[in-house]
Amino acid sequence: MPQFLSNKRLILLLIGVILLVALISLTLRDRGQVSLPEQIVKEAVGAGQSVFSRPAHFVTGVFDNIDSLINTFEENRLLKARLEEFAGVQAEVTDLRSENEELKELVGKEEDLREYNPIQAVVIARNPDQWEEKIILNRGTNHGVKENMAVMTAGGLIGKVTIVTPTTSTVELVTTQNPNYRVSAMVLGEDDVFGLIEGYDAERRELLLKRIDFSVDLKEGDQVVSSGLGGIFPKGIVIGEITEVTIDEFGLTKLAYVKPAADFSMLNHVVIADRLAPEVDGEDNGMTEDEEEES
Amino acid sequence: MIRFLVPIVCLVLFFVEPIFGLFSPLSISGSLYYVVPRFLILFLIFLTVFYELRHALFYGLFFGLLYDVFYIDIIGLYSFLYPAVCLIAAYFFKKIPQNLLSATLLALGLLIAMEVALYLFFLLIGLTDAPAGTFLTSRLWPTLIANALYLGLLGWVFRSMMVTQDPQRGTKFGLY
Repeated sequence: MPQFLSNKRLILLLIGVILLVALISLTLRDRGQVSLPEQIVKEAVGAGQSVFSRPAHFVTGVFDNIDSLINTFEENRLLKARLEEFAGVQAEVTDLRSENEELKELVGKEEDLREYNPIQAVVIARNPDQWEEKIILNRGTNHGVKENMAVMTAGGLIGKVTIVTPTTSTVELVTTQNPNYRVSAMVLGEDDVFGLIEGYDAERRELLLKRIDFSVDLKEGDQVVSSGLGGIFPKGIVIGEITEVTIDEFGLTKLAYVKPAADFSMLNHVVIADRLAPEVDGEDNGMTEDEEEES
Repeated sequence: MIRFLVPIVCLVLFFVEPIFGLFSPLSISGSLYYVVPRFLILFLIFLTVFYELRHALFYGLFFGLLYDVFYIDIIGLYSFLYPAVCLIAAYFFKKIPQNLLSATLLALGLLIAMEVALYLFFLLIGLTDAPAGTFLTSRLWPTLIANALYLGLLGWVFRSMMVTQDPQRGTKFGLY
């Protein structure tokens, strides 16, 4: 290719650059909506990606198994110590559960924000340039996944679904910098304290729980779970525990740093929570009309 | 047989990247290190310098577009960066000694340039607020080291793959 920047080529290049910049600004504006060609590409790449991710998950699974075998002795000793406690706790749980059911019947309450239909999914890819914290799952609208559903691991909440196609879904993790990403949360204690998970401190690697009533006393180590009041997430998904309580930038409400309970580094199997209680339009940010009436 | 080799390698690298992405971020003694696999673009740079620019541009545009649609959801970012990096590679490679070592160094230099460009872009649109120092230590160096390792292991394979095809290029038209 001698002299590839002749006049004609230069003009072509310029037109190309202008087109791309226009495309970038266009797709930056209305994210979340997927056009048909995008959907087709996502489907096709997703199918290819699942083929490649399966052996990879197998290999990492083998390494995980070896890793846990090495720790077996130590773990076993610890678990045996916990086992005695466990019997007592289990008896208490059964007791409380039956009592809860009886009480629910007594007041005639049928719907529960806690109940959800779990959809098992496998992570087929993680956004390889990790600027935006995103993962892609192998379940889509065909399996009942909808936008804004909560996604969690055994450890706790990891994110919510942002884009769905028939067989794949894109999940934005809670560790994102997106300012519009909110989760209604509450702090478990004698009185439940409500707030919003808004933002992530990348240096501390902790979530920010904002808009907590100033008069409320919070302790370090208190557990934070989803409140279910945002309209989409079920209630009671573990988010993390409080590590520090300060006052927010305006000095009007409190701000708490929350250490996430889930491990974000090696995600494999996750659960998408399809809430049984009717869902409210919104983004689980506690900003919908119904939510304001509720609280 | 050989005409399918480049697209197949591109496709495999494209699908392998996010799988290596699953291992990242690495947490070593309390601090996080983001290792971004850039296998495809490094291969395309090698394709540019040892084979031909036009094919590299085409594959860069195609896979950049796939990358944008599937992972980034900002269409036009990688589909611009990949061909642009190939163009710059072709321009600079004419001015330096043409061997494997110089090609590797050139590829790594362009990788740094691309990472910095991406950092500035995401800083601009507000998807990140990491200061430059954090970007350097937690992202650029780990990424550079990991990708240098990858090029060190596979660079000569790529080159020999392309160099053996070189003599046939003149005789067979539309090899790729």
